[in-house]
Amino acid sequence: MSVFDLQGGCVDLGGREVLHDVSVRVDEGEFVAVLGANGSGKTTLVRTLVGLVPLRRGSLTVFDVPLARFRQWPRLGYVPQRLQAGGGVPCTVREVVASGRTGRGSRFRRMGRDDWAAVDHALEDVGMADRARRAVTDLSGGQQQRVLIARALAGEPEVLVLDEPTAGVDADSQDTLAGALGHLSQAGGSVVLVAHELGPLQGLIRRAVVVSEGRIVSDGPPPEPEGHHADPTHVHTHAHESAAPPARPTLRIT
Amino acid sequence: MLAFAFVQRALVAAVLVGCAAPAIGTFLVQRRLSLMGDGIGHVALTGVALGFLLGTAPVLTAIVVAIAGAVAIELVREKGSTSGDVALALLFYGGIAGGVLLIGLSPGGSNATLVGYLFGSLSSVSPADLAVIVVLSVAVLGVVAVFGRELFAVCQDEEVARVQGLPVRFLNLLVAVTAAVTVTVAMRVVGLLLVSALMVVPVAAAQQLTRSFRSTLLLACGVGVLASVSGLVLAFYADVAPGASTVVLALGAFAVLSLLGRTRSPA
Repeated sequence: MSVFDLQGGCVDLGGREVLHDVSVRVDEGEFVAVLGANGSGKTTLVRTLVGLVPLRRGSLTVFDVPLARFRQWPRLGYVPQRLQAGGGVPCTVREVVASGRTGRGSRFRRMGRDDWAAVDHALEDVGMADRARRAVTDLSGGQQQRVLIARALAGEPEVLVLDEPTAGVDADSQDTLAGALGHLSQAGGSVVLVAHELGPLQGLIRRAVVVSEGRIVSDGPPPEPEGHHADPTHVHTHAHESAAPPARPTLRIT
Repeated sequence: MLAFAFVQRALVAAVLVGCAAPAIGTFLVQRRLSLMGDGIGHVALTGVALGFLLGTAPVLTAIVVAIAGAVAIELVREKGSTSGDVALALLFYGGIAGGVLLIGLSPGGSNATLVGYLFGSLSSVSPADLAVIVVLSVAVLGVVAVFGRELFAVCQDEEVARVQGLPVRFLNLLVAVTAAVTVTVAMRVVGLLLVSALMVVPVAAAQQLTRSFRSTLLLACGVGVLASVSGLVLAFYADVAPGASTVVLALGAFAVLSLLGRTRSPA
C-alpha cells in the first residue's frame, strides 16, 4: 500500500514551473529523506504531497485515494518549516500540541480523555512534558520546533511529513527529534522529511530522494558519509543515474 | 442614572459588547490582524450612510456592508498578493469617503449625524437596537464557543490546519463575518472609529498577565466588560462620548496590568 504516489507531477509557483514531471512513490513504513540545495524544489515537493500546492499536471494519490477525494486527513501529520510556534496571543505548549487533535471527530465534541492522553504522550515523546504549562514564546527555537512536532504527533498520524525539522535546531533537540521519529517508524509509521543536513537522523533514513532544479536526480539508499565527507552534517550525493547536465556532475548539499 | 430606560439599555449593550468584542478580537490578534476591525469599521460607515440615504435602519445596512467589506478583506488576504496592503488601504479610505459622501446626499443628513456612529452615543440605543445587539452578541459568543478549537487551530497555523482537513476557507470567512457583526454591534456603544480598540486593547491588556490562549480570552472579556460598563458610567456623568471613555479606560487597564505583569514575572 502506498502512502503517497505522485506521477508526472508538474507544479507552478508564481507563474513559473518549479517541479518538472516528478514521479515519486512512498510506501507504508518507509523513512525517506528529501535532499537538495536551496531552491531545488524539495519543499514544494513535500507541500505538493500533503495537498498544500496544487498540481498543474500529473496525478497524486494519498493512501491510494486520489487527492481530490481524500478525506482521511487525521492519517497525515505535517510539520511546516517555522521558526516560531507562537502567534500574537500567548499560548501554552499544551494548547499548541492539543490543537493537533482538532479535526478528529465531531465539531461539537470536547477534548476527551483519549485526546489528552495522546497530547501527553506526544509531549513526552519530544521531551517537553515538564514544560507543558509554559508559554511557547518563552522557549528556545529548538524547543519550539519540538512543540510543533509534538503537535503533529498528537494527531497520531500514520505518516509524518516534516519540512527541515533540524534546521537551526540545537544538538539536544535534534537527538530528541531523532528518537521521536524512530519511535514512530518502529510503530510502523512512515516518515518523509526534507533535510539540509541529516545529523542524528542519518541512522534512521533508509531512502534518499535528491531534488535538483525541480527534478528528482537520484532516488535510493542514503549517501554514506566517507572520507572528508564523513562529517554527518555534510551530504555529498553523486548523481549517477541522473538527468543532470554534465556540467554539474555532483550535487553538493551543505 | 439607572432610572433612565435609555441608560439601562445602554448598560445591557455595553456588557454584551464588552464581552463579545474581545472574544473575537483574541482570534484577530492571534493571527496578527489587529487592524482588521478598524478596516471593517471604516467600511461600515458607508453602510450607515447608505441606511440614511435609503431611509432604512442604518444598523441593517451597516451589517450588510460590513460583512461584504470583511469578506473582501479576507479574500484579498487569502490571495496573499503583495498589493494586499494597498488594497486594504483603498477599502478603508473608500469606506470613510463613501460614508461622508452618501450622508451628504441623503435628505436632512449631515456629518453631525455620523458623529454618533463614529464615537458611540449613549442615548441612541433604541429598544429595537438593543434587540439586534442582544441577538448578534449571543451569535458572536456562540461562534466562539462552538468553533473555538477550530478557529484556534486555523489562527495558530493555517497550513497545518489545512493538512488536518479543517475547512480553512470557511473558518477564515467565519472569523471575518463574525468580526463584521461585532463591529456593527459595538458601533452604538463605542463607535466605528474606536470599535477595533475594544476588540484589541483588552486582549493586549490581558496578555500582560496570562500565558495561555484560554485565559487570555477570558481575562480579555473581563477587561472588556469592565471598561465598557465603567466607560458608559463615566460618559453619563462627564457628558462625553462613551467610545472615548471606554477606550481610555481599557488603555488604563493595559497600563495597570502591564505594570503588574512586570512585577510578577521574575525574568
